[in-house]
Amino acid sequence: QVSVINTVDTSHEDMIHDAQMDYYGTRLATCSSDRSVKIFDVRNGGQILIADLRGHEGPVWQVAWAHPMYGNILASCSYDRKVIIWKEENGTWEKTYEYTGHDSSVNSVCWAPHDYGLILACGSSDGAISLLSYTGDGQWEVKKISNAHTIGCNAVSWAPAVVPGSLIEQPSGQKPNYVKRFASGGCDNLVKIWKEEDSQWKEEQKLEAHSDWVRDVAWAPSIGLPTSTIASCSQDGRVFIWTYDDASGNSWSPKLLHKFNDVVWHVSWSITANILAVSGGDNKVTLWKESVDGLWACISDVNKGQGGVSAVPEGQQNEQ
Amino acid sequence: PPQVVPGADPSARQLCFEWGPAEVLVCETRFGRRDPGPDPIPSQSWTLTGCVADTVGTAPGSSRVFVVRRDQDIYIQTLRKLFNESHGIFMGLQRSEEELAGKSRKAQLVQVSKNYRSVIRACMEDMHQAAVSTRDPALQGQYSTQVSILSAMELIWNLCEILFVEAAAAGPLLLRLLDWVRLHVCDVDSMVREVLSSESPSKHKLFWNVVDVFVLQGRMDEARHLLSKEATANPTSMNMYKILDDLMKKMPMPSLANTQTLTELELKWQHWHEECQRFLQDGTFASNPHMESICKILLGDEDAILEKKELMTTWYHFLVTRLLYSHPTVKPMELRFYVQSSMDMFLGGESSPEPLDMILMAAFEFEMHQVIKECSIVLSNWWFVAHLTDLLDHCKLLQSHNLYFGSNMREFLLLEYASGLFSHHSLWQLGVDYFDHCPEYGRVYLELHIERIPLSTEQKALKVLRICEQRQMHEQVRSICKIMAMKALRNNRLGSALSWSIRAKDAAFATLISDRFLKDYCERGCFSDLDLIDNLGPSMLLSDRLTFLGKYREFHRLYGEKRFPEAARLLLTLMTAHIAPCSFWMTLLTDALPLLEQKEIIFSAEQTYELMRCLEDLTAGNVDKQKLQEDDVETTKVEMLRLALARNLARVIVKEGTVEGS
Repeated sequence: QVSVINTVDTSHEDMIHDAQMDYYGTRLATCSSDRSVKIFDVRNGGQILIADLRGHEGPVWQVAWAHPMYGNILASCSYDRKVIIWKEENGTWEKTYEYTGHDSSVNSVCWAPHDYGLILACGSSDGAISLLSYTGDGQWEVKKISNAHTIGCNAVSWAPAVVPGSLIEQPSGQKPNYVKRFASGGCDNLVKIWKEEDSQWKEEQKLEAHSDWVRDVAWAPSIGLPTSTIASCSQDGRVFIWTYDDASGNSWSPKLLHKFNDVVWHVSWSITANILAVSGGDNKVTLWKESVDGLWACISDVNKGQGGVSAVPEGQQNEQ
Repeated sequence: PPQVVPGADPSARQLCFEWGPAEVLVCETRFGRRDPGPDPIPSQSWTLTGCVADTVGTAPGSSRVFVVRRDQDIYIQTLRKLFNESHGIFMGLQRSEEELAGKSRKAQLVQVSKNYRSVIRACMEDMHQAAVSTRDPALQGQYSTQVSILSAMELIWNLCEILFVEAAAAGPLLLRLLDWVRLHVCDVDSMVREVLSSESPSKHKLFWNVVDVFVLQGRMDEARHLLSKEATANPTSMNMYKILDDLMKKMPMPSLANTQTLTELELKWQHWHEECQRFLQDGTFASNPHMESICKILLGDEDAILEKKELMTTWYHFLVTRLLYSHPTVKPMELRFYVQSSMDMFLGGESSPEPLDMILMAAFEFEMHQVIKECSIVLSNWWFVAHLTDLLDHCKLLQSHNLYFGSNMREFLLLEYASGLFSHHSLWQLGVDYFDHCPEYGRVYLELHIERIPLSTEQKALKVLRICEQRQMHEQVRSICKIMAMKALRNNRLGSALSWSIRAKDAAFATLISDRFLKDYCERGCFSDLDLIDNLGPSMLLSDRLTFLGKYREFHRLYGEKRFPEAARLLLTLMTAHIAPCSFWMTLLTDALPLLEQKEIIFSAEQTYELMRCLEDLTAGNVDKQKLQEDDVETTKVEMLRLALARNLARVIVKEGTVEGS
């Protein structure tokens, strides 16, 4: 059961491509083909326009909020090949950095876990992925992975910060040895996993299962298990759940969540990673949950009654 | 059915979905607008121009974002009591002594169950009051719906208490079920009151209905009492009445006091049943259809009982009545044999079972998991299933069933419930306790959720911090402190920012803020937030810059207290021990001037040489001598310093060269 608690009329003059809540659900950022990025205060069911950010020269595809410990920072990427980082300073939002290192549309931006610092990954139609790291004093360092995906990169998603192996509390002040990873999806039908080694980004894994362009990837938040999970969706109508089990060796195994009748554009995990939302071309959003026995069940009732898929959160296939 | 977002027009556009911390966002968009790259492949043939053409002349409404949320219940004010008080009961249960065994443990658990139910009833009462007192029909409708939902919850819980928690055995089981029916089938109450309060009840047209109600509910004494009134009013039926009354009086009933065994009861009941049978067959009640019908009911005649459908109103009432008059010593596990038939007979194919019916049926059949599953589907929040399952788990009931789920089910439901609480601005605190009692994932869920609580005020931030600190959630503590420090800095509250960054043990940030303090000092000549800086204590060591700030302030204090030699020593140490950043040395040396100009000699010769060396290091290091010379103020300062230092040196040499006392 859901209720609409607020309808924000953004007054965008053209299609909205992305809407993101900030960390606390108090602000909403939207971006549109009308080239603008707008920020609203949505506390208590209200909608007050805080900022109307202009700077892009083409449709803006995605926005992403940075972790609040760095201040109020928003990144946006656009068809105009630019990535712009906006920051709120003294109550007003301004452009704080503009990156123009891509040769065509930048399709996706994603902030790394805050533990790594302020780092933004950007995926572009020129096939490259850039990593912008804030080094202080308004300066950003750029690392580029050229030819990450042939034809183009459509999505990037960071793995949650997990200190490898160690469960011991690090002494304060010392930076733990994080292994930074992120996933990307591209027009080469592949999902790739990238790992930072000796300050260089290397391709760690290629995940092959899709037969058409990968449109979105989403790395699930960690709930402390030694497994990692990635969701990917594609032009081919399929959504795969990839699991990496530390214990069972070095490989990712895919599980087909579902084959839809149309392109699947967007996948996204809830905060505790127990529900996956899938947005497809068939005008529906479906919500999926994994049951204790490892089967994925659709919980938004769309498929109730079909093929034994249960509409119940805890799959009861075993009870029969 | 799929959730429909009102106002969204799925025919024209696609729906995009994004998670917020508590809410979700749904907006209309059109996917497939992306440029496929410099060399478009024919099969993917949308180019941007094509997309722009599509969106030109966009229909109104395409620019809306819907903020959608599940779990509306936590926002209903009148249910607040439910969440708060049940939290107290839950915590009490978690902490209760597990060492108690057998009967006393069971009694304890039954009490917990009763407590939960009384909270539900209290809420029902509040909700009912709200429904009655509001003028707004929409609100009234909402409240009334809530009342029915709460009523259903209490009905189910009560049954579960009887069957699972108390696990009433054959005998007492029937009594409990009778109580249950009497408590929950209230539709007839007003009729009963009406008849009883009338002047001449036996003349009331609903008189026999009320007698029947009593009989159906096993309320023998009350039935007999009413019947006696009829007898006195109607002497001709005195004989019949006496016999019926006698039968009703003698009816063997299970007792809670364990005064007889089941076998004894069964025997007695068999005899009594036969006696009733004889009287019926003899035609004793033939002339009074009402009494005859009662006798048939006493004999458990299903048709006779079913005739009184409207007085029973539910199939489960029918079930219990049936049991009362055909199998009062029914064992718990035998209930299932009566359930389906009771439902079928009662509904008679006229209506189909509702979700509530299915849940009750599952309970009667002891399918605990089915009960929980069905309730999860039907109810709009997790409150009910979470608390009930937790209680059943404490009764050690879930483990013996379907081992695959066992305590995982309890935890799963508690996690869902508690997660829902976190989207509420104050109920989230209850959620913390629930997570604490989820051994597998409670902690990580808490970590993920607590970070998302808006730290709107300092008090709230402190509250959240305390919770994290108590649980050694160091990452979260650091994160929160950093966020608060950043916020304070943005609002120019340097002192607050500094104390937050110290708490976060964030050296880099502390350095940044210390620099700001120092900059402020240079510009304004005084410090802000002196209290804080004066009382830094060991946290001063967090960062070099912070240490310098603390020590520099100490220098000023010493100077203010006229403890010049100490101040002088400190000042010098700041430079020689490289605590002070080079950029600040000029300021420090300038601070030394008044000390050099004192009547008393403060700096020793050695110290003076040190100072001179510092000055020369500073000016020599400045490669661009021209720049220095151009800056008149700077040049003058340097000259003044050199002069003062030289003068001091002269005085000091003389003083130190002089033999003391002469």
